Amino acid sequence: MRLHCLTLRNFRGVKDRSVRLPALGTTVVVGDNEVGKSSLVEAFGLIFKLPDDSKSTQIREIQPVGQDVGPEVTVELTLGGRELTYTKRWLKNRSTELTIVEPDGRRQSWTGREAHNEAERLFHEHVDPVLWQTLMVSQGQSLVLPTPADAEPLITAVTAESGTPVDGASMPLVTAVEHEYLRYWTRGGRATGDFARSEKAVAAAELTAAQAMKAMEEVQQDIRRAERLALDLSDVDSRLTDHLKSVEELRERKKATDEILLRRDAVRHRAETAQARLVNHTRTRVERERLLDEVERFAKTDAELAKRRTDAETVAKTAAETVHAAEAALAEVVELKDARRTDVQEAERRVSELVDRAELDRLLGQQAELVDVRARIAAAGTILDRIKVDDALVSALEDARAKVVEARAALAAGVPEVSVRRLGAEPVELSGTGVDPLPSELGFDESAELLVSGELVIGVPGQVEVTVRAGGEAATLRSRVDEAVRREKDLLKKAGVKDLAAARELLRKADTASAELQEARRTERSLTAGGDLGERIAVLTARLGPEEPAEVPNQQPAVEGVPGQMSLFEEFASPHDTLFEGFELPVGEPDDLAGAQRALEEARAELASVERLLSDAEFAAAQARKAADEDRSEAQNARARSELAGERLAAAVEALDAARAALDDEAVSAAEIEAKAEAEAVLEELTAVQEQVDAAGADQVAGALADALAVATRLQGERDTLRDALRTTEGRLEQSGRDGLATRRDVAELELAAVRSEHESLRRRAEAARRVHETLSRHRAEAQTKYSEPLQSRIEALGRSVYGPSFRVWLDDDLAVAERELDGVRLRVDALSTGAQEQLAIITRLAISHLVSTGEGSVPVIFDDALGWSDKARLRDMGALLGRAGDHGQIIILTCMPDRYEYVPRATFIKLES
Amino acid sequence: MGGVGVRGVLSGRLSVPQVSVLPAMEESITFLHSSDWQLGMMRRFLGPDGQARWGQARLDAVARIGEVAVSTGAAFVVVTGDVFEHNQVERQTILRACEALKRIPVPVVLLPGNHDALEPGSLWTSAQWQAHAPEHVTVLTDTKPLEIVPGVEIVGAPWRSRRPLSDPAAPGYAELKPGKTRILLAHGQLTSLSGGMSDVPTIDQAALEAAVADGRLQYVGLGDRHSTTRVTDRIWFSGTQEVTTPEETDPGNVLAVTLGADEIVVEAIRVGAWHMVDHRVELFDEESIQALEDWFAELPDKERTYVRLAGDGSLPLPLLSRLDAIIDAQGEVFACVERWTKFWTVRPAPDAADLDALQLSGPARAAMEELRQALAAGDESAGVALSLMHRLARDAG
Repeated sequence: MRLHCLTLRNFRGVKDRSVRLPALGTTVVVGDNEVGKSSLVEAFGLIFKLPDDSKSTQIREIQPVGQDVGPEVTVELTLGGRELTYTKRWLKNRSTELTIVEPDGRRQSWTGREAHNEAERLFHEHVDPVLWQTLMVSQGQSLVLPTPADAEPLITAVTAESGTPVDGASMPLVTAVEHEYLRYWTRGGRATGDFARSEKAVAAAELTAAQAMKAMEEVQQDIRRAERLALDLSDVDSRLTDHLKSVEELRERKKATDEILLRRDAVRHRAETAQARLVNHTRTRVERERLLDEVERFAKTDAELAKRRTDAETVAKTAAETVHAAEAALAEVVELKDARRTDVQEAERRVSELVDRAELDRLLGQQAELVDVRARIAAAGTILDRIKVDDALVSALEDARAKVVEARAALAAGVPEVSVRRLGAEPVELSGTGVDPLPSELGFDESAELLVSGELVIGVPGQVEVTVRAGGEAATLRSRVDEAVRREKDLLKKAGVKDLAAARELLRKADTASAELQEARRTERSLTAGGDLGERIAVLTARLGPEEPAEVPNQQPAVEGVPGQMSLFEEFASPHDTLFEGFELPVGEPDDLAGAQRALEEARAELASVERLLSDAEFAAAQARKAADEDRSEAQNARARSELAGERLAAAVEALDAARAALDDEAVSAAEIEAKAEAEAVLEELTAVQEQVDAAGADQVAGALADALAVATRLQGERDTLRDALRTTEGRLEQSGRDGLATRRDVAELELAAVRSEHESLRRRAEAARRVHETLSRHRAEAQTKYSEPLQSRIEALGRSVYGPSFRVWLDDDLAVAERELDGVRLRVDALSTGAQEQLAIITRLAISHLVSTGEGSVPVIFDDALGWSDKARLRDMGALLGRAGDHGQIIILTCMPDRYEYVPRATFIKLES
Repeated sequence: MGGVGVRGVLSGRLSVPQVSVLPAMEESITFLHSSDWQLGMMRRFLGPDGQARWGQARLDAVARIGEVAVSTGAAFVVVTGDVFEHNQVERQTILRACEALKRIPVPVVLLPGNHDALEPGSLWTSAQWQAHAPEHVTVLTDTKPLEIVPGVEIVGAPWRSRRPLSDPAAPGYAELKPGKTRILLAHGQLTSLSGGMSDVPTIDQAALEAAVADGRLQYVGLGDRHSTTRVTDRIWFSGTQEVTTPEETDPGNVLAVTLGADEIVVEAIRVGAWHMVDHRVELFDEESIQALEDWFAELPDKERTYVRLAGDGSLPLPLLSRLDAIIDAQGEVFACVERWTKFWTVRPAPDAADLDALQLSGPARAAMEELRQALAAGDESAGVALSLMHRLARDAG
């Protein structure tokens, strides 16, 4: 189909407008809002849809408000190779006219309803409604992506191009398969509906059946248990019955043997009595023998211990005496040690005194030296006090001297120098000012070299007088010399000397006196460093009183005559005899310190010797005391034991006496012999009776009866236990019977079989449905992939001119674009930006248009305003695309924004004026 | 109650022997012999509804034994074991059994069998049975002879355990001497009939025959075998009163036994109302399908008939669909129609014409072709899927 011309009269706000469109290429119809662009599209739809007598609200809405006019539309188009001119007016002066020019030039016309019917027939014959709706984009619909799967021309085109037939006739089957599948399965592949319920029913029935089965198994176990218990009970009953019979037999036998057993018991009793009596007499006899033996043994012990007591006491006495002697010797040595210690103290005192005396002498010498030093300090101080010259003053004098010499040299250079010499006898008088020095007269052959800074008058009285006057600067030079001289004089006066040399001499003397003073003071400090000499001398003098010779004792230790235990003392005492004999204390005190110190050393050696002697004596005394203690202890023990033995002997004798008083020794022996004879006689009788018991087997009968009774009791217990267990089990079984457990199990199994059968049937059908669904879906997907390829490749080809080579798309079953990939990023279309979605929608429509362009079913692509979401760069690319699309078909764009389409090449712009 | 067996139906198969060793009897006596009532039995293939009706039918058959007792003038009825399916049947079963027994107007002697053995927890010793058992019913709990009517003793060997250690009939006649008219009631398989397959001790047929021959026993009523079976003229299995499996050859009878002074007449009288049938078919074309349909149509008592179908062959998809439809429909009419899974090997055999007839193309045709090839390669589930797809396509088209 191609649109050639649309004419609207009295259509909404349009009074009369005709728009002629190129049959091929892109046309942009530009007009402001409300100018009627959308009315063009609306008018085209209405003319083919509603007859002129329609009372539809759609018709009433297009009538201009307040005008009694009939809206009219004329459309010129090519349809199926025919040229149609179709005019329709509604409401007022209704009319319909259709003129068709066949390809062969034949012309036909219809009017009225026939015209409408024919036009409608032709339209539906040649225009696929889906394709028409797909490619006509109303205002505000530009974002909607087309879903063109049901567009027959498109399917024809893709089928032709892909070579894959699209079986539209199979759709009812696809729907039926889908429906069948969903009866049993969810889309996610889980069981649903009756199938899922039957699964649950099977599980529940299995559980019930298992429980019922288990209950019945327990019943079977109880039956087996009861059978076993009944058998066991019968067995025990039978054994018990047999056993009770043997118990009765044993009881009969026991009655018969009881008499002989009684007799045996009587004899046994007598035998036991006789035996007890014999034992009693034997015990008495043994006791008597023990007493006799005890008395004898204790007497012997007592004698031995008395002797040992006497010996011990003798030894203890001797030891006590030895201790006494040792302690006396120790006292003597102690006394000797005290004397030797006094000697040492005296020698120490003498040494100390001699040391003090030497110190006193030294201090007195120092005291004399100190007096001398202090005199020297006083003398040097006097000298130093007198001398006013010091290093600074001498240095100032040296400077003043140098300045005088310097000023004079300057004067000599700057003033006349007059040499005067007296040659004759005549006195030569000299006077003037500013001449220095100026002798008042010159002696014979005396000459003077005079510098004249003022005025010099040289006169020979009466003969000549010469006046020399100095020049201009002479006075200045002179005053400098005078100043220097005056300065020097002041300093000399200050120093109290006549010249520099004298000052220097005085300075040297002052240095000498100062050195001497320092030396003397050092000596003084040295002498007074140990404190005040006077005090020290006084202390020493006081300490050294008048000397007296010490009394030196000369005693020998009194070691003789110590009785007993002397051997030890004697051993250490003998070598010391020489020490005592050779020991001589000094008669007089030595006068020299060395001698006194020697005497001290000797006294100390003596003391040490005596201390060793004392140690030995103490050891000997301790030993003697220890030995004495031991001997005393031994003596005490011996005494105690002896006393104890005496007591025991007395007690034994007493006990023996008491026993004899009761029964003498002979009577004891006789009683025992008698008792023994009686016991032997009764025992013989017992042996005879026992032989009778053994012969009758009486003892075994009683034991066997006791054993049999015990077994019977045990068997009765066993029987009772079994009987109880059997009753319990039978009670359970009775209850099981009341509960009808077998029926329950059978019912549960019946139910389980029924639901299993039902489920198996459903499962077979469900699996079949899944298999069919899966197989058909797979084949459809494969086919869809094949026949969507032509459209997909068209879209991608167009898209790449806008987005570049990475642009790809995927189509769904309805041939709608589902996903887009750009630069490796794949997105669902609903995730794309608004602009991208709009561009993709336009690209898809252009691709569809392109695909169907060669067939008879092609229709114009109409965009009622689009590209409102694209940026400038995209507008350029999309414009180029729209321009190229016009090469293959009729593209009509309605817009109030012509700028958006300025990049569409070769576009025809039609301006609608308001 | 239509279809109930009528006296004499099976009499043509019975012989009436002359036995010379019978003790002298002044008059003949007639009694009924039945067994294996197995009240409370469940047949899972019947489903809950079928089970309920079949269970009731077993009780109804007992009641009909009462009618037969009246019509034959029977003096008493003996039931040789397995009166109940279990010792632990539900109370309702016991009470209904007691009600059915009350419909028998003559004394009834029941023998415990292997299903309802006189074991610990036995139904026969339960308070429920004791409380509701009709007075004219006697349960043989030992081997002591019971003089049921003057001059006629009943001896029996009740099962005391489900696992007897020796010939379960022997205790019933071991210590008997000839001289009285005696009927032995016993339960178990005969050595000669078990084929050595029994896992419990069997009844020594030769010993029984010897006891009959020397006059200790005049009739031996056996239970456990559900089909009415004559062992000798005086040794019989009565069979169950109502069929329990399709394998049973002659179930649903009660035996009317008439003992005369020197003769015996045994007559099988049908009291059962149900049928259980195995049917084997070869299915390969429309004609064979039609034959099956006709077979179904000719069967009587459909609502009381269980059919187990064994089938082999292969069918085009349309015929397979038709077969499914037939079986489904007959399943509604009959008590149950079941494919015998073990022997059901009918396969779909789709051919190109089937698929062409559907006028499918494109993916649908390709999918169907794939399933067809899978089936041809032995994939059974593909056959089911193919049938389904065929039906959907046909219905959708």
